Amino acid sequence: MRNVVVTGGSRGLGLASAQTLARAGFRVIAIARSESPPLAAARKELGDALHFQKWDLADIAGLSALAKTLRKDFGPVYGLVNNAAIGIAGVLATLADARIEELVRLNVTSPLTLTKYLVRSMMTQRAGRIVNISSIVATTGYSGLSAYAATKAALLGFTRSLAREVGPLGITVNAVAPGFVATEMTHGLGDAHRETIARRSALKRMADAADVANAVEYLVSDRAANITGTVITVDAGNTA
Amino acid sequence: MSVQTASIRSAVLEQVKLVAEQQKKHLAPLTDALPLLESGLDSLCLAIIVANLEDELGLDPFGTGNDVAMPVTLGDFIRLYEHAG
Repeated sequence: MRNVVVTGGSRGLGLASAQTLARAGFRVIAIARSESPPLAAARKELGDALHFQKWDLADIAGLSALAKTLRKDFGPVYGLVNNAAIGIAGVLATLADARIEELVRLNVTSPLTLTKYLVRSMMTQRAGRIVNISSIVATTGYSGLSAYAATKAALLGFTRSLAREVGPLGITVNAVAPGFVATEMTHGLGDAHRETIARRSALKRMADAADVANAVEYLVSDRAANITGTVITVDAGNTA
Repeated sequence: MSVQTASIRSAVLEQVKLVAEQQKKHLAPLTDALPLLESGLDSLCLAIIVANLEDELGLDPFGTGNDVAMPVTLGDFIRLYEHAG
């Protein structure tokens, strides 16, 4: 079974992606600071196809040890889904410096550094898949999300150049850009705001976590062998 | 030279030759003074060598807490591994 690591795999898009990948025949290792009840339930159902690794991804210095632990416990890593992120909304002029720092550390520095260590395993195997979870705010403006948007745009730049770097070794690197999806991260939006988002989308509804998970699973699968350095937008036509 | 540093040296040199062959690169004669940029290896080859050596020796001079730049000569590269051991 090929191993796929999903960061932030205990909730939201990460949990949905982990479950979809596990059902598609991969052995998924979900990484998070703590195991959520839905992840625990999914692990019971999926057995060896879904594992949980407790780790604090904000601890950059510990990521090399995480990569070592994963390789020792599970063997070579075939796929990496960089999904873990925090969503902090707020007008930039009043956003605390520490929050900006926290956003960049968890949403940018952490996935770049973890990829550095896990891509080595893919390089020695001459095969691999990296999927970075970006966002439509990487390319479209939303007031109150400037710092968060900056981190999501960073992942698009990372995706394209890393695709060039590791392409000769048979490793693909792509991004998925979800629109507003109903998860805990967007819980604070409020019903009225959600209705507005749906009304402004081409399909008059919001995409859900399963839609994003399907795009992730496709990019990790063998069917996407000739797709690299690109972005799949999953937003029910919100930015169409 | 201790047995360990001798074996690290030979492991590094073996990987250099192996990866050059796999990546179809023509290697210059290997000496300690050879600048890596003139060795025939590109940066991707060096990254593959680092990945393979981490597997083989369990050493990673480019890992956490090692704030090193890519060394200039092949000798410097080998010494990085000898000192990491």
